Amino acid sequence: MPQEAPIPRFGHKPQVAFFDFACCEGCQLSVLQLEEKLLEILGHVDVVTWREAMTETSSEYDIAFCEGSITTEEDIERIRAIRKQAEVLVTLGSCASGGCHNELKNQWSMDEVLGVVYGDDAGGISTIPSRPISAVVDVDYQTFGCPVSLPEFVTVVSCMLTGQHYEPPNQPVCVECKLNDYVCVYEKGEVCLGPVTRCGCNAICTSFGHACQGCRGLMDSANLPAMLKALTREEAHSIMRMVVERHSLTEDEIAAKLRIYNNWPELRMEEAQPDDD
Amino acid sequence: MAAELLMTPYAMDRFMGRLIAEGPVMGPRDRRVQPGFVKFEWLSSADELVLEYTTTTIPPKKAFFPPRQPLFEFELSEPPTITAVQEATPFTLVGVHPCDLAGLSMLDDAYAREPAEACWPAARARARVIGVDCLPDEYCFCFAMNTCNSREGADLFLTPIARGYLVEVLTEAGEEMLRLSDVEDAEDEDRSQAQAFRRDKGNRLSASIDASPEEFAEILETQELGELWREIAGRCYSCGSCNTTCPTCFCFDINDEFDLGLTGGQRVRTWDSCQLQEFALVAGGHNFRRIRWQRVRHRWHRKFLYLYRTFGRPYCTGCGRCSRACTADINIVDVSNEVIARARGRV
Amino acid sequence: MREADSVDVTEDITRFYQPELARVIAKQRLSEMMVMLRLQRASGEMLEHQPGQFLQISLPGYGEAPISFCSSPTRTESFELCVAAVGNLSEAMHELRPGDFVGIRGPYGKGFPLEDLRGRDVLCIAGGIGLAPLRSLINYVADRRAEFGRMILVYGARKPSERLFKDDLANWDAREDFETLYTVDEADEGWTGRTGVATVPLRDEVEIDPTRTTASVVGPPVMYRYVAAELLAKGMAEDDILFSLERRFKCGMGKCGHCQLNDLYVCQDGPVFRYTQLIGRSEAIEVWAPEDERQ
Repeated sequence: MPQEAPIPRFGHKPQVAFFDFACCEGCQLSVLQLEEKLLEILGHVDVVTWREAMTETSSEYDIAFCEGSITTEEDIERIRAIRKQAEVLVTLGSCASGGCHNELKNQWSMDEVLGVVYGDDAGGISTIPSRPISAVVDVDYQTFGCPVSLPEFVTVVSCMLTGQHYEPPNQPVCVECKLNDYVCVYEKGEVCLGPVTRCGCNAICTSFGHACQGCRGLMDSANLPAMLKALTREEAHSIMRMVVERHSLTEDEIAAKLRIYNNWPELRMEEAQPDDD
Repeated sequence: MAAELLMTPYAMDRFMGRLIAEGPVMGPRDRRVQPGFVKFEWLSSADELVLEYTTTTIPPKKAFFPPRQPLFEFELSEPPTITAVQEATPFTLVGVHPCDLAGLSMLDDAYAREPAEACWPAARARARVIGVDCLPDEYCFCFAMNTCNSREGADLFLTPIARGYLVEVLTEAGEEMLRLSDVEDAEDEDRSQAQAFRRDKGNRLSASIDASPEEFAEILETQELGELWREIAGRCYSCGSCNTTCPTCFCFDINDEFDLGLTGGQRVRTWDSCQLQEFALVAGGHNFRRIRWQRVRHRWHRKFLYLYRTFGRPYCTGCGRCSRACTADINIVDVSNEVIARARGRV
Repeated sequence: MREADSVDVTEDITRFYQPELARVIAKQRLSEMMVMLRLQRASGEMLEHQPGQFLQISLPGYGEAPISFCSSPTRTESFELCVAAVGNLSEAMHELRPGDFVGIRGPYGKGFPLEDLRGRDVLCIAGGIGLAPLRSLINYVADRRAEFGRMILVYGARKPSERLFKDDLANWDAREDFETLYTVDEADEGWTGRTGVATVPLRDEVEIDPTRTTASVVGPPVMYRYVAAELLAKGMAEDDILFSLERRFKCGMGKCGHCQLNDLYVCQDGPVFRYTQLIGRSEAIEVWAPEDERQ
């Protein structure tokens, strides 16, 4: 049974660095909110670079936690350099791992985007369609959420330090919502993206009675055509009838709701049933 | 047994207060974060108890089979140590509707089938159960599933009447519990009010399954209904809520978790759902129920065919939780009746 | 509060889930993906199992998984399991060394029906790592040779480097009283034997008396339907064809639901089934002809 030094893969107490790309840096902030658990983690690693938590920096590190999306050519060079240095690369949150708000800009041409944001001052600024870090370099561990789901972050750290792989769960938020015995948001007449969204957040939004916004991205076999049918169904029973009548969402409105966190790759409502024949 | 007594609302309040003072009591309680929605929860005072409620999101089986339950703790010493996580405190479960009493009894049978599971009966042995009668909503079909007047496993059973509750004393444990209460003898009027309550309940139950359990099982066994299952699957998210809210589902997953100290942790049992895509995935990568409609069909077959044949009754209590929880509006009564209609249409 | 009186828990309520300890006494690498562990119960007691049965093996923190015995119960001092590196648990098990501990529960399930096999010709068809559970049966036959008729083994591996139990394969091949037909899907430079899938030598080279032969088949799911077709073509009765099925056993005792195959629990009713038990069961999808898969 493996039981000596807990982190055999590094042979020493590994050094950890945090990096950010295009994002709000809320994932780093969330990790700081782990408090006691963070202290336990810090017993196993040394943090050498963490802009939001310390002033020192170092170019020597074993583990890189990277948040944010890749939106410029310079980002690509920078993340490649980090990948080269880090033995383990962990993406932090949906900007880095899946799709997030940044990818909304991909609906337009980059010239249009620059014009809208910078107007006449756009000269000399270059941008590329936004993409997660996982689309540019190999990633060892992915964590999702906006900000990053802390239960998943803790699980990933524990897997990494005990030499285990981590597969993001391929189940919807409904599973965690029900296991926690929360009230279904639909029962209150609201529309929730839980049924198509990858769980791992321990249903944090529905725990407060809020609808899932889908920040962890679609699960692999998300049945989006089913969502179109459910939210436009005329002959529904009482709970879903209340939801359908109250919101009377169109297909475009449903797609717009999903696109907020699911535009990488580009959202295609009709292609989302890979487990069906 | 089956003596009938009267408990006034005041006496009920005192009785619950004494029960709670004596030991842990779980019962339907309004949610603090989301008032208006009741859940089974540990009660800290008698006034938290909500005895008149329609249904809960997840059924009271959680008192005996928690959604997430540590089985044992381990330490990676040499040799490793394994310490069972074993609850021994007796408790009382209050406010269980007849359909849920039937659900608990079905799980008694399922887990007792050889080789018998051990956690469930041990938890059942720790608990006394007080049932309460209820009025249905449009999702309920307990009359059709023959559970609407179940008293299975209850020590006491309460029926709301004008003067409070008519109390049926069903076991010695129930009688013993009543030493904590101020009950009075029931009068004929109380008894006839309880009968009227049950009649009213029966009259309000409009949803029903259009075939006997035996005929329904035969239809599922003999009829090729792939087209219907595909139609239903086209609307199904495979979110598993029909399972995770079901009082008769008993499947689970087992996983290990390290503590952050990385030298110890727990093996944890969690509720699982056959509707989830990876439920039948094996180590080699093959998924034996990969396609969504196969999983939808499995749910109906398991409840109304396989377990019906094994245990002599359909593993459905008619509580309607699955239909209520389905955000795709897949209604168990509608689908069952569509199965029956299509099968009969062929003959 | 009532004083902390507690219900008398006369037996350990988690015995259902709680493993006992076993010790690794030897480890042997069989291929890039496979190691074989030889284990002994920490209690020193014998673990009685049947060929075809499985054990729940675990490493605390890394999980638990079902693995078939690959040793014959005639060899009683220890038992052997063959572990493919496919996930966190199995990769950690590949790191085990003699002296390390693992958790075990079992044995579980119905194995090969030895009483029915006795006196009959034993035809084993193994694909890939399916040889592991069949090795238990084959060595049982080897150790009780007089009790059985012919012993025929058809074994197909993907590549020569993926062949398991090379010592056993050579020993069986050398025996006068064993008939062995080995093949690989893709030959390499050193390979001089057959190439192609196992169904080809089964079809072309194996002659049997179908009335006195029982076939035992273990391999990847895709193999079963083709082997079934060949065996039926040889005139074998469906009742004399045994399949060992792979499902995901979490509890091993017919409760967790993961291994359900229609109304059967593979962990209890199997994993070894007669073909007749599977006919009419739509979820035994590996044994049906391709056009039936969607039934």
